[in-house]
Amino acid sequence: MPCDQAHRIEAYLDGELDAANAAAVEQHLESCIECAAQKAQLESLRSALRQSATYHRADARLHGRIRAALDEASPRSNVLPWFRNAWAGAAGGVTATALAASLAFFVLMPAATDPLIADITNAHLRSIASDHLIDVVSTDRHTVKPWLAAHADLSPPVADFAKQGFKLIGGRVDFIDGTRAAVTVYRHGAHIVNVFAWANYEAELPDFATRNGYHIVFWRSGNLVFCAISDTAVDDILQLSRLLKALSQTDGRE
Amino acid sequence: MDDRRRRFEAQALPHLDAAINLARWLTRSGADADDVVQDAMLRAWRAFDGFRGGDMRPWLLAIVRNCWRNSAGDRKRRGHVAMPEEHAEMNGEALTFSGPSPEASAINTDVGRKLDAAIASLPHEFREVLVLREMEDLSYREIASITDSPIGTVMSRLSRARTMLREKWLGEVESTHAL
Repeated sequence: MPCDQAHRIEAYLDGELDAANAAAVEQHLESCIECAAQKAQLESLRSALRQSATYHRADARLHGRIRAALDEASPRSNVLPWFRNAWAGAAGGVTATALAASLAFFVLMPAATDPLIADITNAHLRSIASDHLIDVVSTDRHTVKPWLAAHADLSPPVADFAKQGFKLIGGRVDFIDGTRAAVTVYRHGAHIVNVFAWANYEAELPDFATRNGYHIVFWRSGNLVFCAISDTAVDDILQLSRLLKALSQTDGRE
Repeated sequence: MDDRRRRFEAQALPHLDAAINLARWLTRSGADADDVVQDAMLRAWRAFDGFRGGDMRPWLLAIVRNCWRNSAGDRKRRGHVAMPEEHAEMNGEALTFSGPSPEASAINTDVGRKLDAAIASLPHEFREVLVLREMEDLSYREIASITDSPIGTVMSRLSRARTMLREKWLGEVESTHAL
């Protein structure tokens, strides 16, 4: 069986791990022969690529051609709409509303990232890229809900929506904005949806956002803030949020 | 030359090598790559007022990639030429590079040629992440923006690209030794 740390070696060599995780990988490499061998293979492939593969360069003719083309082009200041879409990271195939919404988000947001959205995106990426997706593996709400209540001190609505296409696969505890969050994890087709819930958040929330191709939907229910994030279509995430909102109301009456 | 043109050239032209390198690896043809880069530079020039500042290289590479996709789509619609992947498989010559480039002679070694052929044989979605990561040294986040895909997809494609490349490359080396 392959070492469960193997996927982290590439992120480590690509300089994508923070100091704490990099240190953990370095320590792991001292004791794991398999990962050390993988690291050596990756390093030799990288040095071959950087030393021997062709890096094409622009010749004088291309430089001349481009300057001539620029001379001919009359100055225009309009940003081509297709390009703005592409740069905003709006994935193809999402609905027009979602496209417009993510576009508005990117146009309105300053270049500096919103810390909450960055926090959530990072937590989501961490959960997918590392082995910390699920602390309690269960498809049973009667297992997940009490576990979250005991470990996160929060009791968000939890249910298996397998019939509606969202299979409950477990829960975990994570940290958002420095506070403890209960995370319920669903599988929708090939996609993972993390639903974060945390309390005592007074600041204003966007309805939804798109970051690095992940769609993020926010809502409030009672004293809890909810946030669902996934790379599946926005409409699917909205459907899950509606199911959970309805469940919050039922839970409240129990 | 007006100020806008001067600012554009000062910021964009230093990345012309990165642009042509990505275009060459995407199109696998010198002439097509030149067209893609010229198209991209004109689009960048028109969109320059919308550029938010910072490092222009990822912004420019995203435009290059879009221009390549548009041109590949156009060719397919016109029915003249197959999409790049099919083209490569139908025509073994596509794996070698048309037209000399200044550095080609310097690294025109056996290892280099085999490695180039192995990279060129990867499907484009794997080839592009590999080029952006290993040749341009861009971060996962930047590659995700350029390729318009989630970071998780970038990570898995990069990993797959490396595995495929290693297998192809080692396969090449071994089959040569066997001869």
